[in-house]
Amino acid sequence: MNDSYKYLISRFHKNFKILKVLSFFLVHSIANAQNYYLYVASESDDTVSLLRFDGNKIIEEKRIDVGFYPTEIEGPHGITIDPNGKFWYLTLAHGNPYGKIIKYSTKDNIAIDQTTLGLFPASMQVSKITGFIYCVNFNLHGDMKPSSVSVIDAETMTEITKIKTGIMPHGSRISNDGLKQYSVAMMSGELFEIDALNLSVSRKLDLDNHLSIDQSKMNMNDHKMKHSSVKPTWVIPHPKKSLAYVAGNGSNEIIEINLNKWEITKRIKIEKKPYNVEISPNGNIMVATLKGNGKTAIWDLKTGDLIKLIKNSTSVPHGIAISSDSKYAFVSVEGKGGEPGIVDVIDLNKLLLIDKVEVGKQAGGIAFWKKEI
Amino acid sequence: MKKVFFVFLVIVNLGFSQDKFIVSNLKDITLDIGQVFKPESRVINSDGSEVECSRIIYYNKKGVFSSAKSITFDREKGTLKANDPGNHDVVAVCINTNGKRLTKTFNINVNYPKIKKVKLLNGQRNIYVGNYVKLIYEITDELDNKRIVDYWNYDKALRYFSNVEVDLKSSNDRVKIDLSNNILAVEEGNSTITANFDGISEKIDIKIQKNPISKLNLISDSSNVKTGDVVNFKVKAIDKKGNEIKNMPVEYSFTGKSFDKSSSASGLILEDGRFVGDVAGKYIISAKIGNITSSKVVNVFPRNVNREINNIGNGLVNDKHTSDFWVFEGVDGRDYAVTGTWGADGKAYFWDVTNPSKIKKIDSVQVDARTVNDVKVSQDGKICVISREGASNRKNGIIMIDVTNPKDVKIISEYTKNLTGGVHNVFIDNNHVYALSNGEKYYIINIDDTSNPKQVGMFEVGKEGQSIHDVWIENGIAYSSNWRDGVYLVDVGNGIAGGSPSNPVPFGDYSYDSGAHHATFPYKSKSTGKFYTVLGDEIFPKGVNPNGTNETAGFLHFVDFTDTKNPVEVAKYELPTHGSHNFWIEDDILYVAMYTGGLRVVDLSGDLLGDLYKQGREIGYILTGNPNGYIPNDTMVWGAQLYKGHIFYSDFNSGLGAAKVSANKPDNSKANQYIE
Repeated sequence: MNDSYKYLISRFHKNFKILKVLSFFLVHSIANAQNYYLYVASESDDTVSLLRFDGNKIIEEKRIDVGFYPTEIEGPHGITIDPNGKFWYLTLAHGNPYGKIIKYSTKDNIAIDQTTLGLFPASMQVSKITGFIYCVNFNLHGDMKPSSVSVIDAETMTEITKIKTGIMPHGSRISNDGLKQYSVAMMSGELFEIDALNLSVSRKLDLDNHLSIDQSKMNMNDHKMKHSSVKPTWVIPHPKKSLAYVAGNGSNEIIEINLNKWEITKRIKIEKKPYNVEISPNGNIMVATLKGNGKTAIWDLKTGDLIKLIKNSTSVPHGIAISSDSKYAFVSVEGKGGEPGIVDVIDLNKLLLIDKVEVGKQAGGIAFWKKEI
Repeated sequence: MKKVFFVFLVIVNLGFSQDKFIVSNLKDITLDIGQVFKPESRVINSDGSEVECSRIIYYNKKGVFSSAKSITFDREKGTLKANDPGNHDVVAVCINTNGKRLTKTFNINVNYPKIKKVKLLNGQRNIYVGNYVKLIYEITDELDNKRIVDYWNYDKALRYFSNVEVDLKSSNDRVKIDLSNNILAVEEGNSTITANFDGISEKIDIKIQKNPISKLNLISDSSNVKTGDVVNFKVKAIDKKGNEIKNMPVEYSFTGKSFDKSSSASGLILEDGRFVGDVAGKYIISAKIGNITSSKVVNVFPRNVNREINNIGNGLVNDKHTSDFWVFEGVDGRDYAVTGTWGADGKAYFWDVTNPSKIKKIDSVQVDARTVNDVKVSQDGKICVISREGASNRKNGIIMIDVTNPKDVKIISEYTKNLTGGVHNVFIDNNHVYALSNGEKYYIINIDDTSNPKQVGMFEVGKEGQSIHDVWIENGIAYSSNWRDGVYLVDVGNGIAGGSPSNPVPFGDYSYDSGAHHATFPYKSKSTGKFYTVLGDEIFPKGVNPNGTNETAGFLHFVDFTDTKNPVEVAKYELPTHGSHNFWIEDDILYVAMYTGGLRVVDLSGDLLGDLYKQGREIGYILTGNPNGYIPNDTMVWGAQLYKGHIFYSDFNSGLGAAKVSANKPDNSKANQYIE
């Protein structure tokens, strides 16, 4: 081996080390340069905020005015992103009298199309199979009569049908395979499963715990006016298992349902008034907002243990959006009166509230859009 | 070489990738109304081979409203049903298990039901030579739907005539039928008119009489008037013998010439002979019976009501938007006002306005709400009620406030039962609060005991999709503004229909096409004694403009409600490019908040007919934008109230203000030296 050859070998090793170091920093910096984007609706400001979180700080990139009447609060409530990421959809709860759903482009946040739905249209989600939006008509303040789930073709923004469910339906979520839609009826205390292809109710489950109800106080003749003690406000199907979890806002519990057996398998007691509940995409973590005491609860679904209760930045926590990598939960917090709405960022590994950002008043509906390097 | 190979691969791949199509028996289909049809569709490749499609879902593409109901679907049976005639789009969506969608829209023609019967009606008692024959067509289709088509009510007739073939023929030359199917009587005698509608014929015999009239005397109550003044014309028809012949069909018309050479004459004449000139000028009014006519000249002079309007004082609110307001006399004899706030922190402000040039904020309350949209005070000046929207517990409702001492107001109670959907507007009248609920209905709440209000009544229109925006009480009558359902007059203690607060009884209503009815003010004209409801629109034609001043539209509709069973819309106040909001009328003067168009004062004296703005009835206006406003210099005036000679107003961006109409005419010397 001559000297020049040795020299070249040594140069190679030296350069390789430099390359290794550079590669490490490159990969590390790429990993840290991830941006998370999400949308949040502010119900008492008629605005939607586009937020960006870089792993450390969350900022409001843009505030978008929504609605049609500058001097009326139209109440943007539900928000969801199309599975293709190109569009977001927003419900306006108040109309004359019916609310609306509006389709926006994520490219420029300009409204593209709209259609009228029922009374107080609220939460919704798009099925990745049918491309239809399934939106509950909450009818929050109306008469105690069954309302419906509107099915809208997102392509033409036409309401295809209204499927009758229970009283005050809320919490529309689609199963991971896109074939079932779940919602709960807050006042009649029921879980509804809709066949996303048949466009009809396939199953219904009474969520009340009849063993704990004092039957002597019930008016048994008044069959039509069942007032649920559970007052379910949200349902989320597990992304990987045949389970669903329901927020029992009135009974202070999270209810686990076995979707195969279609029966309640667990009632998990929790502090005051759980409102929304979401599960991380990897299926490991469950997060619920506790409207009654301004906290967010986190469970480890592998063990079933409640692992953390985090005090939110202000009162009345509302919605949850979890990042696609299951690392962060973004929690909308309504606040009161003239207080701004807030979005809290919770690190799901460290179980810490790591940042927050102010948005419009009464921050509610929240939807994760994308992770970008 | 590599490039050539790559291009080759692309071409080969393109050749094998195939377009997919939905083929269906829906293509070019025509159905009859009521017909049930089973659509059958499949997906094929361009080479005709079948493609798997796990489900095909059909729906009727949207029309005016969300769910088009022209074609409905029975999803269990897999059928559709044609409900309305016309062309409708049915979308077929093929859904694959892997989430791939394929859609195709099919246009379906649904036949109009065939005409079964046509009946011709003659609306005129007598037809004279020189008259147009005004036939009315009663058409019955095979589904027994009946339509009355009045050819002289063209707007409605057009819809029908554009869809069917109509052919009119006469039996002789005593009438002339033009290309638009107008029939002119030209010669005395009998004639038979045959109408053919889509192959269904019907005849009517008409008798054309020799015109018995040899002379017409056209009489008016005035011949020198001002713009906007209504002139009543009558005709005295005289025959050859000098006898008057009554109840003759008279056709009125006019021509005119403006005094201003750069302006066109403009006015309105009705079939009953009422005429109004919009623009100053010379007008020739003509009356015609058959081939006999008579004319009369009317001189229309400028109304000349312009006056200076001066802003007197302001109670600036510039950290948030201001909503509605109310001015009242306190129990101490001083004058006060309360203002609400919008999209903010739930505050309402109290002001001493005894000296309108020195409006002074004296107290405030804060409630759990984001918007206090409406505020009202009882007639005795003791109780204030404010509305809540955006409460953190979503219970909203109303708040009762003791304003006996406006410098130290005290919240007495909150009331939320049935009002959780947010209360947009309220009214207080004789110990009852009228509160809107969820934009659908209003509840009537007794406040004899203000700390324990009790619901005693409720009123709703009772129609699918009912929607309400405001309610106003006067003389025991509640006037609710119900968007597309218009105004409803409800007896809540007047006695006209035996109603009371606990038993509200509707006795009159009126709606109009735009469906934008947002506020009502009842008004009895001092000068004519006629009773009107003035109905205001609220329209934002382009929605919210986040970058600047919002565009507004809509106007005030003047509806003569003197006969409550037969309300007639007679006039409008429309300010070009600006829309209406809240308003007040007193002593035949209108004070109206025209949002971006400012606070406007309009003369309503005399009979009202036609376009009041064009008639020069506007006395004056001010723009209420303030350089220190929430949005500086942005006029967005919300409401107006005349109180002890001053016009108080609230502006969305600047708070409370007071203005006064001056006796002076506007000084136009700087605008145009030639204007007198």
